[in-house]
Amino acid sequence: MRFALIGNPGVGKSTIFNQLTGLGVEVNRYPGSVVALEQGNVCYKNEKIEITDLPGIYSLDGSSDEEALVRTFIEERNAACLIAVLDATRLERNLYLLLQVAEYRMPMIAVVNKIDEAERSGLTIDTRRLSELLGIEVIAVAARQGRNIDRIVPAALVSARPPGVLTPYDHHIEAALTSLEKTLSTPRHRSLLALQGVSQDPLLRDSAESIAREIEQRHRMSVHQIIATNRHNFSRHLAAAVIAIGERKAPFDLDSLLTRTIPGIPILFAILVFVLLTVFVIGSWLEGIIVPAFTTYVIAPFIALGLPPLPAQIGLSLLVALQAGFGIAFPFVLTFYLAFSFLEDTGYMTRAAFLADRAMHRLGLHGEALIPMVIGFGCTVPAIMSIRILKTRREKTIAAFLITMIPCSARTVVIAGIVAAFIGLFWAFTIYLIIFVLIIVTALLLSRITPGEQFGMIVEMTPLRRPQPALVLTKAWIRIKEFLFIAMPVLIVTSIALGLLQYSGILDALQGIVAPLMMSLLGLPPYASTALLFGIFRKELAFETLAVLGGTADLGSIMSAVQLYTFAIISVLFIPCVSTIAVLYRNLGARIAVLASVYSVSLGIFIGALINLLMK
Amino acid sequence: MEQMTIDFSVREDFLEAIFILARDGRRPPFVREVASALHKPEGEVLPVLTILGENNDIIIDGDGGISMTPQGQDLGMRVVKKHETLQCFFSEILGMDGPSASNEACTLEHAVSDDTINRLGTYLKYSPSRLQKGTESVWGTACPLSALTDFNEGDDVVVQQILGQERANRLLDLGVVPGERVRIKRKLANQALVVQVKGCDVALSPEVAASICVERAP
Repeated sequence: MRFALIGNPGVGKSTIFNQLTGLGVEVNRYPGSVVALEQGNVCYKNEKIEITDLPGIYSLDGSSDEEALVRTFIEERNAACLIAVLDATRLERNLYLLLQVAEYRMPMIAVVNKIDEAERSGLTIDTRRLSELLGIEVIAVAARQGRNIDRIVPAALVSARPPGVLTPYDHHIEAALTSLEKTLSTPRHRSLLALQGVSQDPLLRDSAESIAREIEQRHRMSVHQIIATNRHNFSRHLAAAVIAIGERKAPFDLDSLLTRTIPGIPILFAILVFVLLTVFVIGSWLEGIIVPAFTTYVIAPFIALGLPPLPAQIGLSLLVALQAGFGIAFPFVLTFYLAFSFLEDTGYMTRAAFLADRAMHRLGLHGEALIPMVIGFGCTVPAIMSIRILKTRREKTIAAFLITMIPCSARTVVIAGIVAAFIGLFWAFTIYLIIFVLIIVTALLLSRITPGEQFGMIVEMTPLRRPQPALVLTKAWIRIKEFLFIAMPVLIVTSIALGLLQYSGILDALQGIVAPLMMSLLGLPPYASTALLFGIFRKELAFETLAVLGGTADLGSIMSAVQLYTFAIISVLFIPCVSTIAVLYRNLGARIAVLASVYSVSLGIFIGALINLLMK
Repeated sequence: MEQMTIDFSVREDFLEAIFILARDGRRPPFVREVASALHKPEGEVLPVLTILGENNDIIIDGDGGISMTPQGQDLGMRVVKKHETLQCFFSEILGMDGPSASNEACTLEHAVSDDTINRLGTYLKYSPSRLQKGTESVWGTACPLSALTDFNEGDDVVVQQILGQERANRLLDLGVVPGERVRIKRKLANQALVVQVKGCDVALSPEVAASICVERAP
């Protein structure tokens, strides 16, 4: 048996989910969708019940991936009971979604969460009255304190029933629903969607479209707007009947600091810099433990086996890929995503998006694009995957280009390992500076030449709250999973392919061809070209390969400071890795993947040549 | 001095003229400008202006500039909106010529209610003959009179209509629907806004906020 949690973002669905299922959560993609679904199990009276946490949405009528997924999930009757989670402090707005879900006539119960917060702000909610009005069982819970959580599963098992509540629509809409039901025997919820232009059935779509056009002409308002207004009015009516407002004491509003230009923007910078520095320090420390340990306990014994050359080459490539992957994944990527998910769980990221809106407009984007770009500091792959929150093709394209340039964890390793270690910390910062200037120049250029529309930010600012460790861990895990299961396999395959190329001598031949170019244009030794080539596949390996080919880990003894600096900046600007190209291709198509790759490679070579020219 | 009274329509005509002069000239207009806008001699205009000053609709500065009080500004803006909406209806839907449409609007603007004008405005907005092709922003053209961005932090406003309706679904879902009362909680220098709607805070980009037509809440 399966139950599903449904509700607006930020109502505490995930908290309830974690309280019900504990750890051991599975994150899966629903067939045919890019949206992650969390599933967990709960045992009740010797029965195993599966619980699905549907993504937070505001409406069931929209066309976003999340909305479409939840709609399909409900349409396919995947759950024995839908558990609608409402936020007691925002009951009226939350009822809007519940009324839409109610149209589907699925067995439901409702959970009014954050009842403790509502009480603190002087709101009393008459859940019995609400239950009568909605025609389903309503439970008041305080998920953070675990209050009444134990009543949810029994209630869903025993008293789940299709809701009795029916939103009264404008009489023209009601007439349309009746006529569609009579002529095509379409259920109410499907007719409502069809009137708003969402339908798979061509016959229904055509009839609904002509009716909708008539209604729109009569009302001078879109059908969607009429329906939305009707639902909001009915939600207000319901909320007014069950909420009693008592003595209210206004708590200190932290937003009076966070969302003003001053001190909001300095705070934003301080937080971002603090997060990046922390990740850098903790990451380098952990990497210093993991990488040598891997060499001592795995790679050295493998070499000692003395296998024949071909298997040895393949095995070694595999192990080096694993070492590099884990040397990045856990120290840097995981640390970063823990920090980021912590920030996200506090609700701060929506404030950051609001403050960044202006700056992002200059780059041809808007506030919401800040979040994918910050994610990009961890790993480019999940960052590119998260740009689907942007609405238009233009915004997605610009964001994709910029994200591939943002210094991800692997590039941080290159900067730390080459520039900070052999030239100095100051010069490492100049690399960041050059990259950020290039990102801004690229954005200014792209926002002029990219065709398409700008959408703008519409974001609910979720209330600020104390983050919960379990939720932070789950979110960080989802993101690192994208790194482990998408980026890592590509890394391993290309590493082996490169190993084979090297074994067959093709790589040396290639080096011979590129060497003169490297020498004259970039002023780098021939073996640096191989290292850079490796860098296209696995960024952090650029620097390891350099050490191997140079024959010493003390790079300062074989290359000049200018050469090291040029090498570092080229490998940082080069497209991060094949996994990024793959994920660009999957999310934005071949054209953008090729353009972004070619652009970053040319930019890397151009800047490298420029530095070489100036410093010679 | 005996309290003089003026006809309601005269008060509205004057405030309308001053509002337009102040809006277009971007400074408080002078008495002679008001007189010429109303096609009346200065001598006739001055007493009425004095009464408007006593009514607390306008303030006459030392140098003769006329600035509007919030009360006067509000009334003036409403009359201008009525006039423009009616004139638009007469000329674009009924096909009347410019001067007669304007004259007719001048007469009717004093009698018509705010509600009727709002409905007429919505009607015109969706009228097929007036539908405009989208511009660069998906949010369409500017609001006819006042957009969310024209108000300040702390103001309460009522949503009249949302331009670019096709894309406005997220706004509708969040409760920004015509007739909804919202409060501006934060406004940055760049016009990005946080509004409180149905107890929730929603952050909006400037171009989105500019597409939400509102009026000051009563």
